[in-house]
Amino acid sequence: MVDFVQNTLDGFFIGSSYALLAIGFTLIFGVMRRLNLSYGPSIMLGVFAGTMIYIQLEAGLVFVACATVLGAVLAGIYVERICFWAVGRGAVLASMVSSFAIWMQLEELVTIFFPERTYAFPPLGDFSLEFGPFFIRGAHLVMFLCAAVLTVLLHLLLYKTRFGLALRAVSENPLAAKFMGINTGLVVFSAFALASAIGGVAGFLIASADQQITPLFGLWATFKGLIAMTLGGMGSIPGAIAGGLLLGIIEAQSTWYLGAEYRDLVAYFVLFAFLVFRPGGLFGQRLATQNRLSMQRV
Amino acid sequence: MDDHLIQVLSNIGMITFIALSAYVLLLTGEISFGQQAFFAISAYASGIATAMWGWSFWLGLLWGAGVAGFAAFLLAWPTLRMRGLYFAIGTLAFAEMVRLIFEVFHYQIEIDGEMVGPNGSEGFRGIRYIFENNISEFQYMMIIYALLASVLVFLFAIERTRVGAIFRMLGEDELLAEMQGVNRTYYKVMATVIAGLIAGIGGALFAHMNTYVEPKIFNVMLGVHSLAYGLIGGLGTALGPLIGVSLDIGLLESTRMFTGYRMVVFGGLVAILLIFRPRGLLDEEAVHAIRSAWRRKTPSTRQQSEIDAPD
Repeated sequence: MVDFVQNTLDGFFIGSSYALLAIGFTLIFGVMRRLNLSYGPSIMLGVFAGTMIYIQLEAGLVFVACATVLGAVLAGIYVERICFWAVGRGAVLASMVSSFAIWMQLEELVTIFFPERTYAFPPLGDFSLEFGPFFIRGAHLVMFLCAAVLTVLLHLLLYKTRFGLALRAVSENPLAAKFMGINTGLVVFSAFALASAIGGVAGFLIASADQQITPLFGLWATFKGLIAMTLGGMGSIPGAIAGGLLLGIIEAQSTWYLGAEYRDLVAYFVLFAFLVFRPGGLFGQRLATQNRLSMQRV
Repeated sequence: MDDHLIQVLSNIGMITFIALSAYVLLLTGEISFGQQAFFAISAYASGIATAMWGWSFWLGLLWGAGVAGFAAFLLAWPTLRMRGLYFAIGTLAFAEMVRLIFEVFHYQIEIDGEMVGPNGSEGFRGIRYIFENNISEFQYMMIIYALLASVLVFLFAIERTRVGAIFRMLGEDELLAEMQGVNRTYYKVMATVIAGLIAGIGGALFAHMNTYVEPKIFNVMLGVHSLAYGLIGGLGTALGPLIGVSLDIGLLESTRMFTGYRMVVFGGLVAILLIFRPRGLLDEEAVHAIRSAWRRKTPSTRQQSEIDAPD
């Protein structure tokens, strides 16, 4: 029982970083109805920008965080312009494959400039807390708090500002939003930048909890975000949070009870089962939305 | 031909199988991230058959493709409910499950004092049928291309029949196709099985050429690449995937034109190509234009006589 609760706690805290990745993903999917495979790699570019100023200039944590977010946002804008803005709105498949091509490009750029296997990243919160039999890593606690604050801020932005209203309108129906005088192109662009910034924060938190980064980070981040988003329900922000936490807990429990080699297997199995029996995810969209989404063809 | 060229051409041929498999599903309007699963299943199944059970190569190939086709048949049912992006992620989850199962799959027997067989993440060594039977690399390349040509002919034939028309109809608008009386379930399962079989042939060829397979070869990168090849080459014809693979592996990887930053160049080129041709180089319109230009050239006498007839 103690083990089970401890695993759940661990999973919960790790899951909060997955939740951040999934929120970024779901924002992009929500306003564009397209999949951005380059999401993880653009975060990776930010993380490597952070590590570069850490190694070269021995910059403090705040500067590293700023560089990470800035790098991720710049890379995100590059992806948006090339793969989504320039490719026609109807070509869902072309956008996706194009974002994959840019992924390969970004990954190779990173490996050219950072040929080593791993690089150091400044640690965050090198302490730990104990409650009776339970144990929490400081880095995980900081990660969770940042994720929570960011989620609240995002909620305020989406539901209390005009920009949030415009974003939700575009997400609901781009054409109708355009008729109402909303500059949809700008909204999509900002949503993309916002998602990349959130991804940048997630990347910073994850990298500093691990205290090291590798060029595989892009692949990892894209697929963790994708799984968490799908588990929670595509396009839903509460869903992304729930999906991220669920993924973290599933991984922690299966690592403990079945062994590390079964961790991803269980996660993918749960994902597949969700897609078969409850394709809308935890916070599933209404059936009508689902049907509309599924009717959008390649 | 020198060895390097044979190697490159063989690679192009083998990867084209998996790209064709993704292409068949693209015709029916489904994006699959998971065709590498059938490639992997057949690579293991045929390897086990020839290296461990002592079957012949052709029997092993048939068995591998058959197992892959059967796996595709099983996968077709749960994924029937998934559409669009859900299908993409569902196939991704399936393929990763297959890969991760091979990571923990152990089945070894002793042959000539040596342990042979899949050994989890260590991989599966000693699929040596080709070398033990003195089939040269050149001959093997010819086998690959003979099979590839048969598959291409098969796909061209399909495109000219009702089935091909129905595949494209389903890809265009599923609901409309169903309203025309198309049995969606039947044709979707059929497309999935054909795709599985094609990927399976490629997988068996791959295992026997490399003599060694390991689970991480069949990761999601292989699947997304194969999907991208079809789109780069164009969705209008079954030659599209071949063109895509040749461009990537043939032109860039093998000529070592941009060693070290090949993907920076290629990734950028693909992104730019897709801006101008979102359905690939040889898309439906291009194929149609080429075809009608061809027709205008050859049977023009008949058309001419039809025009002349009123006189």
